[in-house]
Amino acid sequence: MIEKALDSYNAGEEKEPVATEVVLPMLGITVEKGKIVEWVKKEGDPVEKGEIIFIVEVEKATTEVESPASGILAKILVPEGVEVPVLTVVGIITEPGEKFSEDAVPQAQSPSSVDSVTMVTSQENASMAADGIDIIKAVPAARRMAREHDIHLRDISGTGPEGLIFARDVETMIARKARPSEVRASTLARRLAEKERVPLDEVTGSGVRDRIMRQDVQAFLKEPETTEMPLGTVIPMSTVRRVIARRMSESAFTAPHIYFFTDACLDPLLDFRSVVLPDLEKRFDIRVSINDFVIKAVALNIMDFPILNAQVNGDEIHIMPEVNVGLAVAMPEGLIVPAIRNADRSGLINIARQRIDLVQRARQGKLTLEEMERGTFTVSSLAQYDITHFTAILNPPQSGILSIGKTDEKLVMEKGQVTVKRVAQIGLSVDHRIIDGAMAADFLQNLKWKLERPSSTFLTV
Amino acid sequence: MREITYAQALNEALKECMKEDERVVLLGEDIGRYGGIFQVSAGLLDEFGPKRVMDTPISEAAFVGGCIGAALTGMRPVVEIMFIDFTTVCMDMIINQMAKMHYMFGGRGRVPMVLRVNIGAGRGAAAQHSQSFHALFMHIPGLLVVTPSTPYDAKGLMIEAVKNDNPVIFVEHKKLYAEKGPVPEESYRIPFGKADVKREGRDLTIVATHAMVLRALAIAEEASKKGIDVEIIDPRTLTPLDRQTIFSSVKKTGRLLVADEGHKTCGVAAEISAMVAEEMIYFLKAPILRVCSPDTPVPFSPPLEQAYIPDEKDLLPAILHLMEYA
Repeated sequence: MIEKALDSYNAGEEKEPVATEVVLPMLGITVEKGKIVEWVKKEGDPVEKGEIIFIVEVEKATTEVESPASGILAKILVPEGVEVPVLTVVGIITEPGEKFSEDAVPQAQSPSSVDSVTMVTSQENASMAADGIDIIKAVPAARRMAREHDIHLRDISGTGPEGLIFARDVETMIARKARPSEVRASTLARRLAEKERVPLDEVTGSGVRDRIMRQDVQAFLKEPETTEMPLGTVIPMSTVRRVIARRMSESAFTAPHIYFFTDACLDPLLDFRSVVLPDLEKRFDIRVSINDFVIKAVALNIMDFPILNAQVNGDEIHIMPEVNVGLAVAMPEGLIVPAIRNADRSGLINIARQRIDLVQRARQGKLTLEEMERGTFTVSSLAQYDITHFTAILNPPQSGILSIGKTDEKLVMEKGQVTVKRVAQIGLSVDHRIIDGAMAADFLQNLKWKLERPSSTFLTV
Repeated sequence: MREITYAQALNEALKECMKEDERVVLLGEDIGRYGGIFQVSAGLLDEFGPKRVMDTPISEAAFVGGCIGAALTGMRPVVEIMFIDFTTVCMDMIINQMAKMHYMFGGRGRVPMVLRVNIGAGRGAAAQHSQSFHALFMHIPGLLVVTPSTPYDAKGLMIEAVKNDNPVIFVEHKKLYAEKGPVPEESYRIPFGKADVKREGRDLTIVATHAMVLRALAIAEEASKKGIDVEIIDPRTLTPLDRQTIFSSVKKTGRLLVADEGHKTCGVAAEISAMVAEEMIYFLKAPILRVCSPDTPVPFSPPLEQAYIPDEKDLLPAILHLMEYA
């Protein structure tokens, strides 16, 4: 490399090389680091755009990463087996025949490649050392306490020097988890939030131990609702968008989808909910939504049709051991799907609690990879839009997704009489590789039955 | 309870053992007529006669070796080496003979012998009479290493050492000989391997040896004025070492400071720190700190010697530093 650099230095008249940075992609909204387990291409190899260039491992899952450009893999900056933060430049591709100079090597963590989405999603963590070594600094006792309480160290802001996490910081977090409703905010922040009607629990705090400061509320107010996209502009895909794009095409082009629709009369469920709601609100201080009922009904229905909880793995069909129902959450940056754990075994209150917590943290960009990847079936609802029905792409590697349209009053013939009913159209997409039409129809029909008979469906919950 | 000095407590322990068992004999330089450089054997020559209290020539290898032979053949000698510094001239006797006999003869030979030494700077005795390298003996399997910090512990541990059938390195501390404390008149034994909690506290554990115990106790009062509750553990014997008491304390406080007057490198404090790091790391809220002597010879110059000695001036900053780890 030194030789080449000297060459380049000596050949002063040569044009500046246009190097393309190869970065470790964002592999999930909260994934902060990854490890290259294999460089498929070696230094000096020619690469084509779209060819697999390396394989990265994130929390035991490996993903092939495609080359962002055609040319020569001139330099590997991060060798195999080293864990680095996402968006770290791991290699350089130069155009064929071009001289490569070390000067072209960007700083280890190029800020230019960090787009607005990642600014939102990657948590500020002082312990992400600038030298590129990603170790969250914490005293051993803090590590133990965090592990015992199932808390991720990355969710804790350390109060020690350089963000070092003290045992006390974990204790504070444990105490806070016990009282999730309490939002820590400065007086000025509260005043501003009240004035501008900003829900404080949706603001991410930047103060000590995530305390919400006035500038956080101001930043929240400035957050644009929609990104401006004047006609004729070219927008580079954000990393989140790239991940969604890759996953959706992968799903659409590997899993043959078949779609099923049915009408469900929601009168009994809506009535049932309005009967139990005041009591549940009073007793648990939780507002159970129609979605919570749907999630529970889906989970119970999966217990009757476990194949809908399956995933294709090579030549095997894996019926997943847990029923974790994902709920699609629309975000400005793109769709994310956190999953409610053990929905089959959880009561409605627990489901509602999980949902509220997951949605809130989704908006704050604070979900864990595990929460987004544990789903075994997804529910996607556009009930608040004027949409009667829609088809949904499976959330890989899942095999079933439910799509829910709006609820409308409809004239229905019943026993020779015309009556008015509130009806929603529910759709089901399944992976035809492992689920046949009859099975899917049976599943959907039974789900409809469950939703229409809430008192028997939710009898035991 | 009456109070006597550390030197008097040792003297009393030896006297009791000699009265009880005629196999107990004392050997050393200037221990008879003069009573020992720190007066630990004062009066014993008069009481027990020259056959049991023998002044030796300046020939440590000879009289230590002689005592090993005596111990192997049924005596229970207590030998005084005037300063720990002089053990270097009889190291073969200590390490290769005294420590090994019992092992090499499959347990058929015993060396029930006590080798008394003393450590500690602060008496203007310079680099060859002030050392604290007791950690050397902790490194050698086969030797018991005893480190009393109070007159009470000195008497109980000495009686235990004399009655013990294994070779004991009994490490006294120069600056403690004149320290007074309550000591029962009757005979009592303190078992080896049983640490003593010299002060109970919640926030921070100091494992201290010898004079460092007293210095730690003094600074703990200072610290308590700042709201810091210090626990002080005195292991009392380094071999065997009471790991459990140290571990329980660290588990409670999450912070460990080890204070020993030996050199920092490869010292007693290094060993205890490593042990806690190996087994208790997940209870640590802060790094482990050591307050020890610097890795230099002991200076003769009094101001330099004062700077050299690890004491309150070193303990307090270490305590405050550990408490920064909330």
